[in-house]
Parts: sequence; structure tokens; C-alpha cells
Amino acid sequence: MITLLGVFLLFSLFVPHFLTMRSISGIINAATMTGVLTIGITLLMIAGEFDLSVGALMAVGAFLFGSVIMKGGSPVLAVFLGMAVPGLLGAVNGFLLIKTGIPSFIVTLGTQFVYRGALYVASGGIMLQTIMDAPVFHLLNGKMVRLAAAVENANFQTAFLWLLALVALFQFLLMRTKFGNHLFATGGSPSAAKATGVSVTRTKLAGFIISGVLSGLAGIMLFSQYKTAKIATGAGEELNAIAAAVVGGTLMTGGSGSIVGALLGVITISMLRTGIVLLNLPFIPADNFEAVVGLTIVIAAIFNHWIRGRS
Amino acid sequence: MNQNASNGNDTPVVVMERIVKRFGTITALNGVDFVVNRREVVGLLGDNGAGKSTLIKVLTGVYTPTSGTISIDGQVVQIPSPRVARSLGIETCYQDLALVPLMSITRNFFLGRELSRHLGPVRWLDLAKMDGQSREALRDIGIHIRSPHEKVGKLSGGERQSIAIGRARFFGAKLLILDEPTSALSVGETHKVLTYTLNAKERGLSVIFISHNVGHVYAVADRFVIIRRGELVGSYAKDEVSEKDIADLITGERER
Repeated sequence: MITLLGVFLLFSLFVPHFLTMRSISGIINAATMTGVLTIGITLLMIAGEFDLSVGALMAVGAFLFGSVIMKGGSPVLAVFLGMAVPGLLGAVNGFLLIKTGIPSFIVTLGTQFVYRGALYVASGGIMLQTIMDAPVFHLLNGKMVRLAAAVENANFQTAFLWLLALVALFQFLLMRTKFGNHLFATGGSPSAAKATGVSVTRTKLAGFIISGVLSGLAGIMLFSQYKTAKIATGAGEELNAIAAAVVGGTLMTGGSGSIVGALLGVITISMLRTGIVLLNLPFIPADNFEAVVGLTIVIAAIFNHWIRGRS
Repeated sequence: MNQNASNGNDTPVVVMERIVKRFGTITALNGVDFVVNRREVVGLLGDNGAGKSTLIKVLTGVYTPTSGTISIDGQVVQIPSPRVARSLGIETCYQDLALVPLMSITRNFFLGRELSRHLGPVRWLDLAKMDGQSREALRDIGIHIRSPHEKVGKLSGGERQSIAIGRARFFGAKLLILDEPTSALSVGETHKVLTYTLNAKERGLSVIFISHNVGHVYAVADRFVIIRRGELVGSYAKDEVSEKDIADLITGERER
């Protein structure tokens, strides 16, 4: 929260064009799909696990959704398949972790390539593209036309509203339900969780399924906006999502974190990217702005650690 | 003991008979018998690797025994999981294991047994009720907490132990297992935990007290069960043995 406000204030004061509708809506739109992934990543990190396959599952979701729509199939079926199959593959991640005991970082490091490979085989390696227009695209990730007409340059997308709804839903799930309580316990102290009768394996499995379903949804949103998907869609997004979760205050070691924090984290990083590009500093060429983002992630992690130590 | 007789219920809380537990070729327990009577504090003693923990893990459903039977209140039972053990009234208070440091007192207190409210299919935690009940339950055995929202990681070792004991009592445990409850505590904190142990007994619980520290066990236990290298050395009433005898029996300097 403090990090977000700090970055926002700094950029607002010193960066030309930062405090304009155009850049603000750009920041929000760029954060949305990563935000959806970050919700799942955050839940898993709280339970002490990682999911590096979210980027690949995003591509799987985008492909399934896109190809059903392009064949004229039902949008309900398209959305269902685009979320259910990644959810199933998420369950595979969970099973591999539970049955073998190999760290999820390694399991999903491997499965992300397997899933992308399977997608390559299934699709023949083509790039999916369409110019058709479907109502489902507008519903899931279309331009908010009326708002754009009312306010100049307010180019917000409907997906951001979905993200806000998901954040509210999962924050509730995390803080106000048994499942949320068990996620914290599973990551905070697996042995204590087991000793008090919490099913650590079931909790983790549920986390991986949620992460998969949300990845699929992010892919669906991506296709709805750009009407294109390729094998490499979503590559690198897993690391962006982990970075956002960390900036949002989630512990890498498990047991602590929040979904609202994840949202703030993802917006902070998006703000940094936009702000640094707009700044156009001579010593930070526009194609090297990731270095600054990386530095901020490290600083945020240290800062969070320090705050936790004091409180 | 007289009170016991007047209750008319002399069935031991726990009877474990000829318990064998093998891990591959290693025999951790080789036919151990173990009994805990009602309102009794049993000190379970043994050196590192003697099989104390294995025996307790068999009783609490963490391990399934290779052979042997377990009876609770005279009924032969299977204990395939910690959840089943808890439903049978067996509560374990590990030094750190049963509490999650990053979670609040309330959330720890009700972990695995959360209270929920519901509206149709939607269920959510009744945090207000859980806060009130955990505060009350702890006050009941003389523990005053600053706030039920405080993280357990901020509490001292003795306070944590007391939370675990209060929790066990609240959820109707009949057998409390204290695994090395005093191993990391200061003298003052140790004294508190020993007091809570005796309180628990006065309130009708049976207690298994596991420790390396013969002095701490000797202060609270009515009976001592000693195991060595996976086998039972013996069971001794407090008036039969001195602290020195027990130490010798643990190490095997004295046989029975």
C-alpha cells in the first residue's frame, strides 16, 4: 500500500503525462490479466507453493476459447473449456506435487513446457487469429464504450471490473472461510496444520485447481481483447505474477499474504513500467526499463520484510 | 484415586497392546504395552530414538502400527489419521507443531474446527463468536490474553503452550499429550506449564507428559513409563522410584 502510494506520488509529481486518463487507463489495462493470474499465485504462495505453469495455462485457455468461438461454437462452452481444461492441468500439477513430494517450483517448471508442447501438438503450431466480433468478447474484455465517450481518453476495459469482482471474491474466500484459514495454516506450518486435522494435500490441490482456472480465464480475457493467441502467449507472465504477489506483501515462504495486496502489487508494477517509459531518462533506455522494475521488486521485498519484522 | 472409584469408571482411557512399528527393516517399536488411566499424569521417558515419539504418533494417528491393538475407553479402535484421534478425545500439544506462528490466537484456537455461519450454500467464518469463545476458554483456566487477534508467533513459549492446553480442554479432550512441553522454556515459564498440566488433571483430564528432563516429569507425573530401543523397560508408580532410578533406567545403566 505504502509502496503503491509512494510510486504514484513520485510519478505524479515528476513524470509528464503520468496523471492523465490515457496513461491511467493504460496502466490499469496492462495490469488486468496479470492481476487475474496473481490471485491464483498469491493463494498458492500463501499455502507455500509456486505455480510456474500459469503462463502456459493462459495460452491453453486462450486457444481453447478462441478455437471454439471461431468454429461458431457456443460461448458458454468456449468459456467452460477455456477454464476447465487449465483447471484440470492445474490439478495435475497438484497431484504430481502431492504424490512425488518434488517441490512445486520444479514440478511446474517442468509442466509449463509440457503443457505448451501439448498445445503445439494439438494446434499444429498455428497462430490463432480472427476478425470476427462476438458479444462474449465485449462481455469479458471489451472497451467500456460509454465511459470512453463520457470521459476523454478513459479507455478502460471491462476485464478490470471482472478483476475487481474476483479480488473481492477471493479476499473473502481467504479471510472469511475455512478454506482460507487452511491455506494460511498449510503454508504457515504444515505440521501444525496436519496435527490439527487440516487436510494439507486437499488444500494445496484446491489451490492448484484455482490457479489453473484463473490462468485459463486470463487467457480467455486476452483472446477477447486481442482476438489472437499463439503458442508463446503468456510466456513470462508467471514471473510477473510472482513479482506482483511479492510487491503486494505475500511471503515467499508461505503463511502470509493478501489478495487486495496482490491487486495493489500488480498495479504498482504496471505503474512503474508506464512511468519509466514516460520519463524517458537518458540512462534508462526504454527497452531496459525492466531493470528498474526488477530493482523495485527487490526493494519492495526488503521493505515488506522489514515492516513484518517491526510489527 | 478415591474420586476415581466414586465415579465408578475404572476403565483406562488408553490401552495399547503389543504395538509393533517397523519402517522398512528398522523396528522402531517392538511389542510395547502402554496404559493411561483416568485422571492420571503419565510420564513417558526414553532417550533420543528410544521410540517415544513413534509410540505417540501411533496413538495420534500419524503412523499406522504394523501390528498391535489400541483401545480407547475399553473399545478397540483404529486410528488412521490425526483427525480420528482428535474425534476420540486425544489432543496433542507439541512445543511448536500444533500452532501456526503467523496466525492469530483465535484462528489457531479453532484451526481445523472453525465455526461457520451460512446463508444457503455460502458459508463463512463466525470470527466474532470464535474470538469470544477462545478468550473465554483461556480465561477459564487462568490465562489472560491481550487480544485474540494477536499473532501466536509474538507469544512466549509458555503462553503458546497454554493456548494449546486451553484449546485441548475446550474441545473436550480426555487425553492430553504434552510432547517436550518444557524443552525450550525458561524456569518461570516451565513452572507455569507444569501448573497448567496439574490444572488439566484436576479438571478431569489424563495427561501423557513426554520429556527428556527427568526433573520436570518427576514433578508432575503419577506414574512413569520408560522405553528403550523400541522396547518397554517398565512402568513405575511415583513412590517406587527416585529421579536417579529413572535416569538410570532410561540410559540402561540399571535393568528394571
